[in-house]
Amino acid sequence: MTQPLLSISNIDKHFGTLKAVDNVSLDIRENEFFALLGASGSGKTTLLRMLAGFEVPTGGAIYLDGKDVSAIPPNRRPVNLMFQSYALFPHMTVAQNIAYGLEMERLPRREIAARVEEMLGVIQLSQLAGRKPDQLSGGQRQRVALARALVKRPRLLLLDEPLGALDKKLRGEMQLELKRIQHEFGITFVVVTHDQEEALVMADRIAILRDGRLLQCGSPREIYETPQSRFAADFIGVMNFLPARVGGGVLLAQTGVPIAADLPEGLAEGAEAVAAVRPERLHLGQSGADNSLTGTIGAMAYHGLDLQLHLTTPLSPQPVMVRLTADAAEGRPLSIGDEVTVGWSARDTRVFPA
Amino acid sequence: MTDRKPLYLMSPALAWLTGFMVIPCLLVLALAFFRRGIYGGIEYTFTLENIALVFDPLYARIFLKSAGIAGLAAVLAVILGYAAAYAIAAMPRRRQPMLLFFAVLPFWSNYLVRTYAWIVLLNREGLIAAVAHGLGYDGELPKLLYTESAVVVGLVYNYLPFVILACYAPLSRLNPEMSEASRDLGASGWTTFRRVVLPVTVPGIATGFVFVFVLSIGNFVTPALLGGGQFQMIGNLVYAQFLTANDWPFGAALSMVLIAIMMGLLTLQTFATERASGARRQET
Amino acid sequence: MHGGPDKRLMLLILSVVFAFLYVPISVLFALSFNEGGLPTAWTGFSVKWYGELARNGEIMRAAFNTLVVATVSTLLATVLGTLLAVGVEIRRRKGRFLETIIFAPMIIPDIVLAIALLSFFSLLNVTLGLHTIIVSHVVFNLAFVCSVVRARLKTFDWSIVEASQDLGASTVVTLWRVVLPGMLPAVIAGALLAFTLSVDEFIIAFFTAGAGRESITLPMQIFAMIRFGVTPEINALAVIVMTVSVAALALSQRLNRGGLPGQ
Repeated sequence: MTQPLLSISNIDKHFGTLKAVDNVSLDIRENEFFALLGASGSGKTTLLRMLAGFEVPTGGAIYLDGKDVSAIPPNRRPVNLMFQSYALFPHMTVAQNIAYGLEMERLPRREIAARVEEMLGVIQLSQLAGRKPDQLSGGQRQRVALARALVKRPRLLLLDEPLGALDKKLRGEMQLELKRIQHEFGITFVVVTHDQEEALVMADRIAILRDGRLLQCGSPREIYETPQSRFAADFIGVMNFLPARVGGGVLLAQTGVPIAADLPEGLAEGAEAVAAVRPERLHLGQSGADNSLTGTIGAMAYHGLDLQLHLTTPLSPQPVMVRLTADAAEGRPLSIGDEVTVGWSARDTRVFPA
Repeated sequence: MTDRKPLYLMSPALAWLTGFMVIPCLLVLALAFFRRGIYGGIEYTFTLENIALVFDPLYARIFLKSAGIAGLAAVLAVILGYAAAYAIAAMPRRRQPMLLFFAVLPFWSNYLVRTYAWIVLLNREGLIAAVAHGLGYDGELPKLLYTESAVVVGLVYNYLPFVILACYAPLSRLNPEMSEASRDLGASGWTTFRRVVLPVTVPGIATGFVFVFVLSIGNFVTPALLGGGQFQMIGNLVYAQFLTANDWPFGAALSMVLIAIMMGLLTLQTFATERASGARRQET
Repeated sequence: MHGGPDKRLMLLILSVVFAFLYVPISVLFALSFNEGGLPTAWTGFSVKWYGELARNGEIMRAAFNTLVVATVSTLLATVLGTLLAVGVEIRRRKGRFLETIIFAPMIIPDIVLAIALLSFFSLLNVTLGLHTIIVSHVVFNLAFVCSVVRARLKTFDWSIVEASQDLGASTVVTLWRVVLPGMLPAVIAGALLAFTLSVDEFIIAFFTAGAGRESITLPMQIFAMIRFGVTPEINALAVIVMTVSVAALALSQRLNRGGLPGQ
């Protein structure tokens, strides 16, 4: 097996009594687009700052290409960071900003000029090379920040909430743009984000952090389809949770009806649990389904591609969300107040301790 | 509110400023172009002699001397003040207001008293002499008071708080991620300071420098008290023309040159601020 | 943390600068309580030099003159400066010329304003005295009051003025009952600042006081005394003057909370 590009091994970071990062281990492969996903205070930014060299781990080590880099200062690491605020130098032009990092490597003037030129082409800002950052739009500044870090051809490019400051439409475009650039340059990207949708769209693999600990790491599909914890299930996408209890070796809903599902290990008889199922895994009717529930439509929302229903049901204190494809919805006209039955299969049901 | 009411509220103050600042200043400007009367009065005939006299080698030398002392004081104050402001900005955020308050506090106490404190320290029977003798030094101490150095120290001491304030403003608004970005791109701490922090905080330095220079070059209290009348600066010269030599037109001409220097420097400062103005939108 | 400024170096710089700023003042403080009055030897704690001050008729008269000048010029400047601040802030157009005139008194070198006023008063054959000092002090004092009040008005929600008018209040009533309460702390802070500046001001007073001893102010008295050398009375006087200005400023700062003027 080939050695991972970056290996984070049992890393800790404490600030006084606060454990910002608590025993995290991760491997990141060459050429990967990796996302560190978590809410604020989850430790994702601290972890990123340790990778960049701005924080020294309290314990554990970071290996880059097999070498321990934990104590190497940021200006000596082949790792570059694109800052959340972009941190462009306001007194330098776009071209000077991009050239700065190359000047630090003491490259020949001509090579610097050529690489800056090339980079300006990649980010499509050749016309604005002489502008100062305050004469650029938000999206343009974001691209300059990216170019400034990328032009150094780092082994690892770190991006701290790269799209956080952009409006929604631009963010969508830039998600794909970042993927294209990453592919084109063949550089490993590590993105920190609190936006699960962004992580799902862009990343090859996602690590979910919570309270400084690594909760789960896997491909977007693994994380979405087989969350390992109730938190992960809730954090990524939309999930219905039905309160339940283990009774007689099976899962019983709060009405007492059994829910067919694989029970995870360690759930004792009588233990409180929740059954989780994605809205798109619920189908109208119960033909061929392992489970079913009946509820009243409390609200309906039409989203173009799909139709969302809120069902009030005795199985759950919260309304159950159902997401029907346009096709499925067309077969039967629905209106608020209608009673409908929906079914789902056992393998689409995840069970977590309550 | 309509646009007429503001004028009605502003007019008393504006009248006051016009009557007791604008007109008197214009009067001085005019005075500089009149002839001095035989008995010290003013003869109302146009002349350029006063302006020419300012550039007479005798007075030009005093100008250069004053500029040298003011320049030295300004440079020293900027170095000390910038260092102090940088150190304050590097302290934890919640402590900064208090540190800044105490750095600026002396500025709001009496100028004469602050200058006097240095007489107490520097004079022949002063504290520094006492400490030196107490430590067993019996030899002749170099003269401390009534020297150019004493004047420079006095000027730096008096204006340092303002420089700290002026330098602190851009330093505290500096986005810390900018320094980190520079480090991340491979720059050492010193290079980061020289190429990123310093250029962005130039407005504060310029403001501090201009302030100290302008107030020093026109100062007559500090040279009189700490220089002991040993040498003259522009301020002393202006003072003398008005209160002892009774050559008002020449005094007016001298102060016009003073104003011209100030305006020139303020323009430079505005320029420096505008050059670094990109800083404004990135501040977080 | 890598790349951050060296904490020990920063603390060293702060210690050096604060020592430079505070040692001279502290020495003065200590000496003013020295029984013997000389800097060379500590002969015991005493407040006798403060007592000497009270017995010195010249100093007491100068202090009284200063109080008169500072009080009257502060009152005038507070009214004029506050009105000016309100006028400037509710005006929609911001003129560069207007801004310059309002800003000028704060940056014009004292000596220039001093000789300008002296020339002006003598041209008009005005007898110099306390009244001319007062008139002159109002010039810079009103500018400082104006700047403190304007800083407060910048964050003032002007829609409440419209609300007041909408509810039927006249302009005067609106100013009195809605605008003034909101800016009162700033007005008082500005007044305190003006008072401090006026108490401490020397150069302009020196030029506009005229000959004779009747209109001498405290800073003029201090200047005259310092020229003759160090005496224990000056130490005590210096401490009092310094304490008054610093106390007034600290109070002003507390009221205003918006930072020091000029910031």
